[in-house]
Parts: sequence; C-alpha cells; structure tokens
Amino acid sequence: MTVVEQTTPAAPAKQKQVSQSYWALVWWKFKRNRIAVLGGILLLSFYFGFVFIPEFLSPYELNHTSDFVEAPPTKLHFIDTEGKFHLQPFVYGMERKLDFKTRARTYVEDTTRMYPISLFIHGDEYKLLGFIPSDLHLYGVDQKANPEAIVLIMGADALGRDWFTRILYGGRLSLMIGLIGQVMTIIFGMTLGVMSGYYGGMIDQVIQRTTEFLNAFPDIPLFMALAAAIPTFWSPIAVYFMLTIILSFVRWGGLARQVRGLILSLREREYVLAAKSAGASDARIMFRHLLPGTMSHVIVIATLAIPGMILSETALSWLGLGLRAPLTSWGVLLQDAATVRAIHTTPWELWTVPFILVTILAYNMLGDGLRDALDPYGTR
Amino acid sequence: MSKPLHDPLIEVKDLRVEFDVRAGIVKAVDGLTLTIHRGKTLGVIGESGCGKSMTARAILNMIPKPGKITNGEIIYHRRMKNSLESQVDDIIDLTKVDPDGKVIRQIRGGEIGMIFQEPMSSLTPVYTAGVHINEAVSLHHLVPLQKVGDQIGEQVQAHRKVTKEESRVIAIDMLRRVGIPKPEERVDNYPHQLSGGQRQRVMIAVALSCEPAMLIADEPTTALDVSIEAQILDIMRDLQQSANMAIMFITHNLGVIASMAEEIVVMYMGKAVEQGKVLEIFQNPKHPYTQALLRSIPKLGKKKTGERLASITGMVPDPFNLPTGCVFHPRCPMFMAGKCDKIAPQWKKVGEDHSVSCLLYE
Repeated sequence: MTVVEQTTPAAPAKQKQVSQSYWALVWWKFKRNRIAVLGGILLLSFYFGFVFIPEFLSPYELNHTSDFVEAPPTKLHFIDTEGKFHLQPFVYGMERKLDFKTRARTYVEDTTRMYPISLFIHGDEYKLLGFIPSDLHLYGVDQKANPEAIVLIMGADALGRDWFTRILYGGRLSLMIGLIGQVMTIIFGMTLGVMSGYYGGMIDQVIQRTTEFLNAFPDIPLFMALAAAIPTFWSPIAVYFMLTIILSFVRWGGLARQVRGLILSLREREYVLAAKSAGASDARIMFRHLLPGTMSHVIVIATLAIPGMILSETALSWLGLGLRAPLTSWGVLLQDAATVRAIHTTPWELWTVPFILVTILAYNMLGDGLRDALDPYGTR
Repeated sequence: MSKPLHDPLIEVKDLRVEFDVRAGIVKAVDGLTLTIHRGKTLGVIGESGCGKSMTARAILNMIPKPGKITNGEIIYHRRMKNSLESQVDDIIDLTKVDPDGKVIRQIRGGEIGMIFQEPMSSLTPVYTAGVHINEAVSLHHLVPLQKVGDQIGEQVQAHRKVTKEESRVIAIDMLRRVGIPKPEERVDNYPHQLSGGQRQRVMIAVALSCEPAMLIADEPTTALDVSIEAQILDIMRDLQQSANMAIMFITHNLGVIASMAEEIVVMYMGKAVEQGKVLEIFQNPKHPYTQALLRSIPKLGKKKTGERLASITGMVPDPFNLPTGCVFHPRCPMFMAGKCDKIAPQWKKVGEDHSVSCLLYE
C-alpha cells in the first residue's frame, strides 16, 4: 500500500514533461562526466573562496606584517614534547636566529611556548564583501592573548606577511581578471563576429582583416607594448582595468571568427527570412534571432579561453608589466618568488604555482566536459 | 460598398528581377505584370524556379544579395488601419523604398504578412538560458529558442503598442483562431514541441497577428500532409473572409490553387504566360504550357489503366541562354517554326478576364 502511495503522486509530474529539454540533457550528460564535475566544483569553490571570502579564510589581514621576515611554514603539532596527544593542533613559538657569518636568518621552534590553533577565531578586522564588518577568521591563534604567536602555514614573505593570506587575496584579482576579461572578449567577439557574418561585404572585410592584423602580432611583445603604454602614475586599480581591456582587446579576434562562421550558416535559415518578412530590424535579427544559436559554442570556447587570460595576467605581472606591488595577484606573487635567491632561501613562495595549476586544470576539465555535454547526442 | 472592398492593393507593373552572377545575368522575373485586389486570392503557379518566390520577395523588397529589381514598379495602395474603409492614404512604390528602412519594416509583417514553405525551420527555435529546444533541432541546427508565444508577441509589439499581458492574450487568441488545441498551454511551447502542422499554423498565426492587408503564402502547405493541408487552407479562407485580406498564393499544386484562388497567373521562366479567372483557366486553358500542366495532373477514374501520365517534354532552358522569341517554344507541342522562335508573344485577350501570351492567338 505504501508503494502505491509513493508512486501515484510522482506519475503526473512525469507525464507533464513531454520531452527532455536540451538543457536537461546537457546537465544529465555533464553530470556523468566526473572529471568535469570535479573541475566545476573546484572552480566554484575557488571563486567563492578567493573572490568573496578570502578575508574570512585567511588567518590575517592582507597587510598584516610581522617580525617573522621570510619565516618558513610553521609546523602544526598534535603531540607535545612530553608525548601527550592534543586533539587541538598547536604551534610553537618561533625564535629568530641570525648567522653572523652568512647573514642568514634561521627560525627555531621554542618548545616552551605552545599556542593552540582555533577555528572561527577573532582576529584582524575586515569588511566582508566590502560592507559586512567582521573580525572572524576560519583559523588562527588568539592574537589578543598571545600577540607574539603566529601561524604561517605557507611561510612568510620579506615583510613577514602570511604567504597563504597573500595567495588567497591574490586569487581574487587573478581569477576576476580572467572572468571579466573573458566577458569583455565575448562582448567584443560576439558583436563583431555577428556583424561580420550577417552583413558580409565591406564590414566583413574590415573586421576580418583587423583580426588577422591582431593575430599576426606575436602575443607577448604586443602585450608588452600595450601594457607599457599604461601611464605609470595611474592608480593600481586603473591599471588593473586597463590590463583587462588589453587582454580582451588582443583576444577577441578568434572568437569573432568562430561566431562569424556560425552566423554564416545560421543566417541562411528560413527563420531569418521569416523574421525579416515580419519586419524585424537587422539588429533584432542579429541579437535576438542569430546570437542565441551560437551560445553553446561560445560558452565552450570562453571556458577554454579563460585559463589563457589568467596565464597572460600572470605572465605580464611576472614581467613587471601588469599589476604592480600594492595590488596582490598571483603574477605579482610569482614575481616575488622569481629570483634564484628566493627559490633558494624562501622556496615556500612557490606555493603560488600549485594554485595556478589547479585553476587552469579545473578550467580545462570543465571546458572539456561542457564541450561534450553541449552536444548531448555525441557518442563520446 | 463592394467596390472599395475589392479595389487594387498591389499592382506589379513590368517587374524585372535580375541576378548578376559570375556566369552571367539570370532573369528571375522578366516583365511580370499582375494586380492583387483586396479580399481576393491570386494564385501564382508554375514550375520550381520560374520566379514565383522572387515575385513574392520583391513585393516585400527582400530580394537576396546578388539579385536586384532592375525595372518596373510595385504600387502599394496603402490604407492605414485606423482610417476609413474606402480611403487610400498613401501610394507607395515598393521598389523605391529603402530595403532596410523604417517604412518597409512597417509594411513587412504589419501590412503584408508572409508564410514560408518550411514550417520546420521558419520558426526561430530561439533559445535563451533555461529554455530548451528539441532534440533534433539542437543537433542539426545549433539553434536558438524562442517561445512560440514570444514570437507572436514580439511581432505584435513591433507594430502597435500593447502591453505584455495584452500581447499574450492576443497570442493565445491567434493560436485558437488557427485551430491549435489548448492554446493556453501551447503558447509556452517551443517549436520543437509542436508538430509540423502546428508549426505551420503558428507561422500563419504570426503572419496574421497584425491583421495584414495582404498575406503572401509561399507554398504554405507543400511540406504538410494532405489532411493538415486541408485544415490549413480552411483556416486561411476563414481568416480571409473575416478580415477582408488579400492572399497571394504561390504553389505548384494545381488542386490546391483551384480550391483557393479566384484568379490565377501561370508563370514560366520569369514571365506570366496566362492569367484569368480560375474556372476559365481550368476549363479552357489556352497556353500550351498551361494545357500541359493540367494534363500532367493524375485523374482518378478517367483514364484507362496502364496509361502513362502526360509530362512536359524537354528540359527547363538554361537561364543564361533563354530561347529567342517565346521562351516556351523548344518544349511547345504547338511550335510554329519561323514564328515562335523569332517573335516574342504579346498579351492577347481571349475571353472575359482571361488573357494569354501566345502567338497561336495572335
């Protein structure tokens, strides 16, 4: 009897859905691709963590400097010197030693001082999302009780700032530049591509020759030339936006070509003629009737192109032509770590690299999955 | 009252449409003259490629790219929707208006609606996020979805100021008028959720939603099966009567045209060869081409079993090298040597409301 009760309410709901919608099929196919789902989840958590709540995830504020200059990562301990197990991990106090011969700093743990690490601890004040005042951090040591204690899970930089904190904050700019830049690329590329394909003739020629002209330039020197043109007295934020525009300016050509190709075939469809005979303007035909047909293609291209954006930012900043020091991005962090000395004395600064790698890989995983999923009838 | 009801709406005069392609100039329409009256149906018949569709597209000033209207005029007697029944407000030569301009865009759809041959692809299966399209559509045309309701609503909004709710009511009402069951539900369906017949009906609803003065139906039932065809034709006839709409009905199906049209124009190679009242032409065809066309319809019961169906001998001529004299002469069974291949035929009145362009009658 219970079985009957369970099945009957479900039946009408199923009947209502006459056919599987396109997006339902896409989602169904996407779900089965575990790697793509993993990539998607990674990216969602990265964007959420790095863009929205890095202040909460990091133990300190971005510019929280300390005396622990270039300190190596602090070790987390569960067992103290007496062999007693603590459920709550703790760190020892650190003591700085200077070798007077080599002038090298070394840090040794002072096992007499123990500082427990707590979750959801009150520390530096910040404004979440720019307007919610808070001082809660995911983890850390109690700064009020023990101001000399510090936890640096990925070491510290030359100003004694927590490297993990800097990675989190740097991710915000690096991830956003990829996304914003790609959105702008899509806007440029789709608008110019659809005009190129729909009008043909002179407009097509001009747009296509321009993309060829842009593509003929070697990437890096072009970036460098454009980036060098940014006035040095601009504020870092203005530089940031300028850089986004430069990145998308150089990259819209490929997308414009792809969209043009799709439009060339779509514009011959009868519904375009029907729309025209119904009195639709060119703009309406292009943006309401033609562009939606290219969307699934554009989504895939865009997803696969974002890593390139992020890497370009990283490369430019690393070269000193992109974002500059007061701002923190992954490229800026890499620039810190790029000297032989840094690799020798502070190898933990290379922790930035895995974050970049995982982001890029996640994008590629997601993009591949989307490409397969958006073609739900493909055999793969 | 009856006179202004059926006064001329469109007068096509000596229309020429030429395509300048690499191999030469193709005359798609070559000196066509015809008149469409309000509330009447004009049938245009002829083989594929004889310029029927180009004539229709010339009326909407929508000739595709290498093509051009090189001669003639298309006089449109424009009557504003809110003006008196008998009053003509404006006379426009449609060949002279800017093909991308505002005037022609108002006329297209708003005053002259058009239905196309392919119900499967004539609806933008347009797609925005969260909305879905049909399985086959998504594979073969990576395309688009727009709600059926939206498509009608959009057009209504383009031509008169109505609110979204009103336009939805109109959309549902139009769907009901073209005989779609459960229009309240269907209005939210995407093209792929509809059958071919339903899609064609939606197309008709789209074309009629602005109450145009004229409907151009370019082989509207060719892609449909016979029972649906009959329904669609009934719907068109009903709507014509209720809205005093002119119809230009383009087809190669003589059976359909016999039941739909009052007047017929027979076209061959871009030229009209015979025109007149439908009964006249069917009972008393004068031009050898019309006669041949009518002979090639299979008839039930009249013929002996085993008899072959008549066909028109010969091939459609090469459009770059049209025959001299009468274009039909190489295929004509009544060919008169030394005459038909030299002299271009003139129009000859052979009866009341019946004229033919053939040297036999000169």
